Amino acid sequence: MPFLSHGSYRIRYELDGPAGAPAYVLVNGLTQYSELWSAYREALAARGFRVATFDLLGQGASDKPRLFISQDDQVAALRLLIDELGDRPIFLSGISFGGLIALRYAIEHGKRLAGLVPMSCFAELSPQLLLLGNALRTGLILGGTSYLQDLLLPMNLSDQWLKPLLDKLESVKRQGWLVNDVYALQNLMESFLDFQPLTPRLSAIAVPTMILNGEFDFLTPRALHETLRVEIQNSSLVIIPRAYHAFTLEKGTLTADLLARFAEDVLAGRWQGNQAVWVAPDQPGGELTPFPAGYDHLRAIPVKRALP
Amino acid sequence: MSGFLGPVAPDGRIPPYQQTKVAAFLISAHGALARQFAFMLPARLDAAWQSELNAQFYRETEIVSLLLRATSWVLDPSLGYMLASWESAWLPAPVEGIADPRLAQMIHLAALAHAVHAGIRPAAILPIEANAQDPFVMALRRIEFESGRLLQAQILFLKSTDLAPHRDAVSAALAQRHAEVRKLWRELLECIGIGVPPA
Repeated sequence: MPFLSHGSYRIRYELDGPAGAPAYVLVNGLTQYSELWSAYREALAARGFRVATFDLLGQGASDKPRLFISQDDQVAALRLLIDELGDRPIFLSGISFGGLIALRYAIEHGKRLAGLVPMSCFAELSPQLLLLGNALRTGLILGGTSYLQDLLLPMNLSDQWLKPLLDKLESVKRQGWLVNDVYALQNLMESFLDFQPLTPRLSAIAVPTMILNGEFDFLTPRALHETLRVEIQNSSLVIIPRAYHAFTLEKGTLTADLLARFAEDVLAGRWQGNQAVWVAPDQPGGELTPFPAGYDHLRAIPVKRALP
Repeated sequence: MSGFLGPVAPDGRIPPYQQTKVAAFLISAHGALARQFAFMLPARLDAAWQSELNAQFYRETEIVSLLLRATSWVLDPSLGYMLASWESAWLPAPVEGIADPRLAQMIHLAALAHAVHAGIRPAAILPIEANAQDPFVMALRRIEFESGRLLQAQILFLKSTDLAPHRDAVSAALAQRHAEVRKLWRELLECIGIGVPPA
């Protein structure tokens, strides 16, 4: 199990796929650990990508700072990992908290990237997200990791995914419960106490950017992704049908295919952002369709977009 | 080497020799915290935050009481030496960079309690096959759950703005305490056949 060193901290990482190939770096969400990307490692390696996954500080097998975890340190850890990959095209993707860290990396070190894919992501804490975050933190404090998982599972996954697992939810939760420590999760959550919105800095991102948002994402809804689409010039927003916040878990095959296609298009010079809005296919390999012209993609019912 | 207690008996119970060693360690650690909270607790509360000392004292005592009654004990001569080494490890240590002896004592106690509550996860060594209705299994789960709550007092204190001028000293004391406590816990688990990756 290889580790990177950041000051006195150790960051556990893993590299898979062909050496020398363009690389995908995948950044975990807040309660995740790098093994959750296993299917992506296989799928992206099969499409000819080197894949780098790692545990953020406070997660899994990486060090868990006792009192404070700074988001600056998370960006620094990510930078170390990308430096480790050498001089090759780098595609960076992260989900939720990991998407935020990826955005910060892209703002500060965007020249190093060939492409960026923020997923279920946000650049600022809307009142809803702030209050939800506070409530989730209180849930963690009062009920432990298991209760936090109980809150997140129904919020972030579909009935179709949950239904067959209802009688074995404890086993679904067990690995996450084992590798996550209450104090470390709490430190990760409290790294938002001095959070400054990234929105004014998003325009610094010039790299091709594909923003992925689940159709039914309740935790980070469309409006938060819209901020990214509007502020990042070379971007497009892709809505994943019937998907919730944790669609990387639920729709891994489709998401891995979208990641690979995006990178292939960028490398071939075919990709154009144009701040367009697309709807992803239901199945891998299907066509992306433009969001119906004239309709408001921020609404949940078909409403004509107001003319400027 | 497994990462979990066991192999469990057909009825899902943890082997008594493992129960004995784990319970002895936890009683030593939480008992030390109870004693030190009792020492810090004034006969009459002068400030609102001191009510938390009272709560911590009684909850640590509850953990000790629970383990004494929930454990299937067996005679274990090796515990004598181990207990002596554990008890000496919990003793107050000077906190480098903190001249005020009372503040140093409070930081020591908070650091020790943080290390015990955050660094020791007794429920995480229970195998899936453990009988959830077994008193010892239930006790380990309860202790881990309570530790997450008790920890909040240490987090609030150690992160408080009052200690901001001493942040480096506090962080160093905490890191040292975590390393010591986790080492003892790891050594204990290794001697009953459980491998825990270093923190």
